[in-house]
Amino acid sequence: MPEAGWDYAKQTTNQKLNQVIMVFLFYFLSAIMVISALLVVFSKSPINNVIYLIICFIAMAGHYILLNAQFLAVVHIIVYTGAIMVLFLFVIMLLNLNKAIIPQKSAVTRIMAVVTGGIFFLVLIAATRQTFVINPRYAFTSEIGLVANVGKTLFHEFLLPFEISSVLFISAMVGAVMFGKRDHAVGDD
Amino acid sequence: MNALIFTTILGIIILYLGLTKNKKILAPAGIAGLLVTLFLSFNDWGLGSAYFHNMVVFDNFSIAFNISMIIITIVIFLFGIDYYKMMEFHVAEQYSLMVFALVGAFLMTSFSNLIILFLGIEILSIPLYILAGGKKFSFKSNEASFKYFLLGSFATAFFLFGIALVYGASATFYLPEIKTYIAQFKGNLPPMLLIGLLFIIIGVAFKVAVAPFHFWSPDVYEGSPTLVTAFMATVVKTAGFAAFYRLLGIGLLPLPESLEKALWVMTGLSLLIGNLVALKQYNFKRLLAYSSIAHSGFIMLAMLSQHDRSASVILYYTFVYSIASVPLFIIFILVKRASNGLDHLKAFQGLYKKAPWVAVFMTILLMSMAGIPPTAGFIAKYQVFILSISQGYLGISIFAILMAVVGIYYYFNVVREVFTDRDHLEPLVITKLNAGLIIVCGIAVVVMGIFVWHLPI
Repeated sequence: MPEAGWDYAKQTTNQKLNQVIMVFLFYFLSAIMVISALLVVFSKSPINNVIYLIICFIAMAGHYILLNAQFLAVVHIIVYTGAIMVLFLFVIMLLNLNKAIIPQKSAVTRIMAVVTGGIFFLVLIAATRQTFVINPRYAFTSEIGLVANVGKTLFHEFLLPFEISSVLFISAMVGAVMFGKRDHAVGDD
Repeated sequence: MNALIFTTILGIIILYLGLTKNKKILAPAGIAGLLVTLFLSFNDWGLGSAYFHNMVVFDNFSIAFNISMIIITIVIFLFGIDYYKMMEFHVAEQYSLMVFALVGAFLMTSFSNLIILFLGIEILSIPLYILAGGKKFSFKSNEASFKYFLLGSFATAFFLFGIALVYGASATFYLPEIKTYIAQFKGNLPPMLLIGLLFIIIGVAFKVAVAPFHFWSPDVYEGSPTLVTAFMATVVKTAGFAAFYRLLGIGLLPLPESLEKALWVMTGLSLLIGNLVALKQYNFKRLLAYSSIAHSGFIMLAMLSQHDRSASVILYYTFVYSIASVPLFIIFILVKRASNGLDHLKAFQGLYKKAPWVAVFMTILLMSMAGIPPTAGFIAKYQVFILSISQGYLGISIFAILMAVVGIYYYFNVVREVFTDRDHLEPLVITKLNAGLIIVCGIAVVVMGIFVWHLPI
């Protein structure tokens, strides 16, 4: 959505047209996202699930571009759509899961799931109803999502989280090697 | 900060030492490194230095908790020398993963930015998911690892969603700024902020296994390798409560009434579920899992009392609980080995005949867990009750005292088994190191109960 507080009177027709297009794109992408997200849940075949999820992610990348966060959009497509989802597809194909094998839960579990999920949904709806517009603390500039600015923030203000996440990755790699390596059974403690 | 950096390097050093194929040097190297970390932490005492745009603040609170966690980790590493003797593969990985988890724990005690809290929780959790599955050929260990991973990532998703909502409302990740932002509403928070805070609390509550979010803990405690269970029950618990106190006690309390009510309900449920379900447990690790849920309830009580001394009481409680838990796990492993892998409480039968002094120390440790004088566990619980009663929370304090009395029953169930005779006695093999650990921890519990009633913070 375009930023609030625009001076509508001073806008040229060109700007107005731009805004209409932006609003249209926003609703278009949102509709794609919502529909594909619902299809992820409702379709039975795992392959279809993954494909719908990819569509959902691509639409989300479109949202990032609308917010002028090009870098995020590109990374999102490369990492999620490119790497993770292709990995998903590979795993599904290798394990030959192309059938609907969702285990059937008992009626009690289902009812409980529906009730808790419904209550949670209700709370979220109630929350969104009362949401108000918050004045943005940082002024919106069109350059906010450019690679240079993201990099500056990342290596200046967020340097520690950026560096410390290496510990996370090294422990994940250690785990992958540990579980992936073949070794034989030993004593049980 | 030096301690944090050095610990990270220590993890990598241990990983490389694994290449030498010499298992014997791993634990001593790890312990030596941890002693250096301990020294570096002591050096930072009283400085209260903040780093990286105030993202982490190493004040006395965080250093006190760090030191307590380092000491416990050293004890666990000493236990590891005997525990990993039979294991051929991946010993270096196990030690280094524990050190990496400690890095996450340091971040959790010292954050002042929600991003750091998130990273700390993740750096603590991911090594644990791996460590829980350390016994690759045991079905239960695989189950524990997978269950912990799935539920843990679910909780992380909640936590992250909460951070996003809070950031969306307040446009900041910094705790003090969030507090001023909350204060301006005078208790009438916008729903987005309210839900965000609730989700953050849920995420942290999952990590410390507070009652409605405790379902993972008995299964994970039971399935994980015992040394990892000891690590989870002590270091992870301490880190979790340090983070919880930093988030609420130092950071955000007093919260609006609805959220505080939710926290009180969590406290009451932990006390109730932890103590009552533990009555029916006959697997020792499951029993300790439920007892740790019950202990979470007591620590929550201290935290919610909102007094200046809460931090010190929580530190004392977690330290005493940890120092009593580790030797109990050691004794459990010794007994389990002697009875062919039995983890029922019956495995303890005949312990008094086999090794009377172990039985005596076991009784002392269990007394400390139950909170019976003259052990430190009594002082810990006593201080919690004094704190909560002095702050006017009389009802829940009486309830907590009742639940503590219920707790005595199931701890003494174990003591009864220890002093019960069994017909055929297998010999109990105790290495000198393990014997030393049991004796030192047992004496420490009594000495702390008589002489040391406060830990400086």
